[in-house]
Amino acid sequence: MRDAYLIGAGQSPYGAFPNESYRSLFRTAFDATMNSVPKELEADEIDEAFIGTLGVGGRQLGLSGPAVTEHVGLGGVPTTRVENACAASGFAIRQAVQAVKSGMADVVLAGGFEIMSDMSSDATKYWLGVSGETEWERLSGTTFSGVYAQMASVHMEKYGTTREQLSRVAVKNHSNGAKNPHAQLGFECSLEDAQSAPIVAKPLNLYHCCPTSDGAACALIVSEDVVDAYTNEPIRVTGVGAGSDNVGLFKRDSYTGIPASQRAAESAYDMADIGPSDLDFAEVHDCFAIAELMAYEDLGFCNRGEAGQLIESGATELGNDLPVNTSGGLKSKGHPIGATGAGQVVEVFKQLSGKAGERQITSPTRGLAHNVGGSGGAAVVHVFEKETEVKS
Amino acid sequence: MTAITGVGAYAPRFRISAEAFKDAWGQFQATGVNEKAVPAADEDSLTMAYEAATRALEASETDPAAIDWLGFASSRPPEAEEDLTARLGAMLAVSESTTRQLFTGSTRAGTRAFWAGGDALEVDAHTVLIVAADAPKGNPDDVVDHAAGAGAAAFILERDGPAMVVDRAEYAAPYPGTRFRTTGENETQELGVTQYDRQAFTETINGAVASLEGEIETDVAAIQAPNGKLPYRAAGAAGVDTDEIQATATIHNLGDLGAASVPVSLATALAEDYESILAVSHGSGAGADAIVIDVSDELPTNTALEGNDPLSYAEYLRQRGIVTTGPPSGGGAYVSVPSWKRSIPQRYDLEAGRCLECSALSFSPEGACANCGTLGDYELLQLSGKGTIEAVTTISQGGAPPEFAEQQARSGDYAAAIVALETETGNESVSIAAMGTDAAPDEFTVGDRIETTIRRIYTQEGVTRYGFKIRPLTDD
Repeated sequence: MRDAYLIGAGQSPYGAFPNESYRSLFRTAFDATMNSVPKELEADEIDEAFIGTLGVGGRQLGLSGPAVTEHVGLGGVPTTRVENACAASGFAIRQAVQAVKSGMADVVLAGGFEIMSDMSSDATKYWLGVSGETEWERLSGTTFSGVYAQMASVHMEKYGTTREQLSRVAVKNHSNGAKNPHAQLGFECSLEDAQSAPIVAKPLNLYHCCPTSDGAACALIVSEDVVDAYTNEPIRVTGVGAGSDNVGLFKRDSYTGIPASQRAAESAYDMADIGPSDLDFAEVHDCFAIAELMAYEDLGFCNRGEAGQLIESGATELGNDLPVNTSGGLKSKGHPIGATGAGQVVEVFKQLSGKAGERQITSPTRGLAHNVGGSGGAAVVHVFEKETEVKS
Repeated sequence: MTAITGVGAYAPRFRISAEAFKDAWGQFQATGVNEKAVPAADEDSLTMAYEAATRALEASETDPAAIDWLGFASSRPPEAEEDLTARLGAMLAVSESTTRQLFTGSTRAGTRAFWAGGDALEVDAHTVLIVAADAPKGNPDDVVDHAAGAGAAAFILERDGPAMVVDRAEYAAPYPGTRFRTTGENETQELGVTQYDRQAFTETINGAVASLEGEIETDVAAIQAPNGKLPYRAAGAAGVDTDEIQATATIHNLGDLGAASVPVSLATALAEDYESILAVSHGSGAGADAIVIDVSDELPTNTALEGNDPLSYAEYLRQRGIVTTGPPSGGGAYVSVPSWKRSIPQRYDLEAGRCLECSALSFSPEGACANCGTLGDYELLQLSGKGTIEAVTTISQGGAPPEFAEQQARSGDYAAAIVALETETGNESVSIAAMGTDAAPDEFTVGDRIETTIRRIYTQEGVTRYGFKIRPLTDD
């Protein structure tokens, strides 16, 4: 199979934008992506597109993929909409890699978008948790804050994880997001702020939950046959892994981890022939603070039950052993559902290209992106390596 | 002959005192009511009927499948049109071919059901279950609402048993306007023509009692109690002392129980081992039923009428939905009424499945086995309704799906858990998500024992969906 490469990625700002449509935001992300390619890439060189969106708000439920590609002048390009809840565009990236590796396409656009802020907060809630198990889980009175809070309750009970450790996730990610001009909540927060916020679903408070966001993000995946035409600093997609699971938490054997993430990581590490200790940084799916802690364990950054100690040690902060969510993560950068997975790849691209500004890691060569749908009904992991330095 | 062979009674856990009304209004119109029971936001006369009937069935160890006649009485059924006995019967797991009757239209409905159940035994019924449940509702500034309580009582009737109905009589005379609710209206009204109302009450009660064949020599009298005064004013008409009325009066601590007033008083008298009981109902219109019961032996009873959770008047208005505006409009994860109906065996009766391949339990019993992945059939079984909390959270403002926004506005934060529900033997369990009820959310923690009950889950498109919730286990 041919190798696949990441040659460009870009995003719109994340936030609430009354003057933007899902198409205009997608255009912003598309333009940023095209401009990020080191050498020239013409739009008519794109062979295929995969677009992730959940369709929050009920707009453009059918053909929402072609609706954005035609808007940016890719009218004739075969476009497929991918829906795996919050992992929609993480799976769009996976589809792009598969298309390239299979030999069917040389240049593939993968992206996603979501508009979540243009309705009343009450109406927005009708869409939260729609990617959970509906008949039993939702109708026991939970959206995802409740389901992740249930996981937190067991993690705390079983491993002694504390609310302060959960709050440290928010403090770290806000600290990173404050350095990201695209972040929705780009301000720092103190541990005290993150401890004293109003409770949403015990033990999770407002600072343990990501916001709802408008935004779009894209990435360009190309084959080894054409990569040299677009960049002299190729970033190879070395690891690809995905997993699915019971959509409802109550159907799973474990409430303290996400088996789909574990399966995805295992496949991705195997394919990349690396282990978690070989990573320089990671973007993980921190829709709730407990989700980032579980990701540490599911992705093998620490032993099971030790995520609380890992965040407390500072190891995942910028400048330390394994910086996690340098972009600010879903917590600070924002979580426009369909755009989130592609947005994580934007951060990976920026870090590996040395274009992450104030939050730049020193000479990273290998990064991971981890995107979860719902409470773990689907998960996808990618490992990216900067080839020029790895080869030597 | 009609015999009572099992008794159950239930009142919600919330109480509001006369003082709380006085603080809010500067006065309290329901003289004689010291405090009263208030239904929780997820309760209504149907769920209270389930609570009382379940207790009667358990106390008397009656197999629900043996019930061949079911009567449900309420002046406030949660639907004005729709036969709720179908749902009540399914909740109680009585047979689909059981005769069902709904009694409503006045506060006399409870004794009407008792009467009709007795008639059914004379014809072809062998095991009758009658349930009276009520939660009257008036305008917030009138006596009907000030007095309005909530409660339910259920009786198993058979042809012979420890408590025999030895006499009965009825009486009716036209008295329009004493207590009424016009079609389409939600609040019960009274004109408040004092002497006229009293006359309607005493004339019908006296008429029914006077028509009894024997002498009145009872120990205790369960008399209709719309407020704290009228039953005592009718003592002479009923031929009893006020002491005999007070002995089992429910008006002082539970409030006006409407069609369940006399049934709950009767249940209380039976639970307290009185030997001769006179029960006299009154319903506007007006009419009365008088029933005399002699008890010769111990009767299995299970009454749960205590409540220790006080409400302020503001909490009372919220809990009853008087100051809330209903769920926001919109749509998301929609569950259609037909798909809800398909889950009723699980929602009401905890029907799980055993995988024919690996024997693991599955809830709901559909799709591939979560344990071995076999896509086959399941052997159906009913779970016990007891279990243990595996994971739990308290959903605060902002954390609830909009379907539950109205409930949360009314009753506040709630617990949402994953519970391991057990089989009858307790040796196996299967996990499911469920909402907490009947206790404050902090009374649900990982590892706690729980039991299921049936409550209102939510209302959408005007259709209320009922199903099981969990509460702390009362006895193991």
